[in-house]
Amino acid sequence: MLWVYGEFLIDPKIDQAVLFMMDTMKPSQSLATILTIALQAGLLAHQSGAGTHRTSLIIQRTAKALGAARVEVIISSTNIGATIEWGSERETGFRKAPHMGANFALLTTLNQWLCAVEQGEANPELAQQALDEMAQKPVLYPRWLIIILVGLSCGSFAALFGGDSAAIMITTLGATLGMMVRFYCVLHHFKPSVFATAASFVALLCTGLLSHWTQTPEAALAASVLFLIPGVPLINGAADLLNANYLNGMVRFAMSGVIVLGIAIGVSLALRILGI
Amino acid sequence: MHTWLLELWAAPAALGFALLFNVPPRALWLCAGLAILGHAARKWVVLLQGDIVFATLAAAILIGLIAEWWSTRRNEPAIIYAISAAIPMVPGTYMYQSVQALLGIASLPATETGEALLVTAGVSGVKAVMIVLALAFGIAAPLLLWPKRSSA
Repeated sequence: MLWVYGEFLIDPKIDQAVLFMMDTMKPSQSLATILTIALQAGLLAHQSGAGTHRTSLIIQRTAKALGAARVEVIISSTNIGATIEWGSERETGFRKAPHMGANFALLTTLNQWLCAVEQGEANPELAQQALDEMAQKPVLYPRWLIIILVGLSCGSFAALFGGDSAAIMITTLGATLGMMVRFYCVLHHFKPSVFATAASFVALLCTGLLSHWTQTPEAALAASVLFLIPGVPLINGAADLLNANYLNGMVRFAMSGVIVLGIAIGVSLALRILGI
Repeated sequence: MHTWLLELWAAPAALGFALLFNVPPRALWLCAGLAILGHAARKWVVLLQGDIVFATLAAAILIGLIAEWWSTRRNEPAIIYAISAAIPMVPGTYMYQSVQALLGIASLPATETGEALLVTAGVSGVKAVMIVLALAFGIAAPLLLWPKRSSA
């Protein structure tokens, strides 16, 4: 049997793979279109707070739902890429994934989008349109509300740490100011080390200057900088490590470490000035 | 204030972060509820003579499990509930004490040895790190229990 094919002899393993692909339908769209959509979905997931495992699965499932036979994904902290194949055709693409933030509403919508795509409403044009809409959707809450409620969060921290009502109030005030600084810095594209230092400095200085009003200054001071705690990278980092994505897990822990270092520097500068 | 009523402060502490992370409005109540539940569970374990690190781990696993259970019902990612709910257990006081003691070492006169400061900084710092790690791994662990469903 083998000699019949002569020099066109096919490796049995590949042969099987090709036969398998014949079973699946040929995608109606070009592989390039499929890859663009899959990478865009992955990029949105990566930037809105999904762990490495989830991002990888979103890319794979999107590409397969749209007709790719085989998908290989690579996700680093700053790049995502994928190669998708159908038969002998192959497309590879990369995207820069500059920052990892948190946008859980987007993550939820993306999940629903993926389910819709998988359930055969796999018209790539519509899928692409929905993705674009998702990406441009503004944040759900107005910025002033976020600032005030995060300030109040830190006030609640002061209460949890055993502070009195004066401590709660001055912590809320200090953290609200710090939050304003943080938003200002983020909107002006400062690095995390810088905005963490500046925001924690302002928050602690303000709280410290008013701390003679309260009987429990330590609770107020400790709580006033907690709005900077990098919760999402820490928990995603732990999830990545437990999922055996060691490199990305360490990168996320390192990111959190830099932010914590920034907080420590800001706090120590402010404490020097206050003389506490 | 009654000590158990104090746990209710965990809800506003979590809500601020839920807004910061842009959690959809329909999930906000669960973030707040899980935050209170987690924080109270930690306090309860500490009252039963558990140490704070173990108590944090237990409470974080509890939050993670409930978030996972709810997320499979609603087909939403579990982390949108779990991360905000975990935030109120962050050990702010230990972190602050550690930084304060380190600062004391920096400004120590040359003639003195800062052993007491070093011990304070070290003990508070190690405690803070252990609590944060217990929190992070406790939240993340239940996500792995159902790999198929929790995947995306």
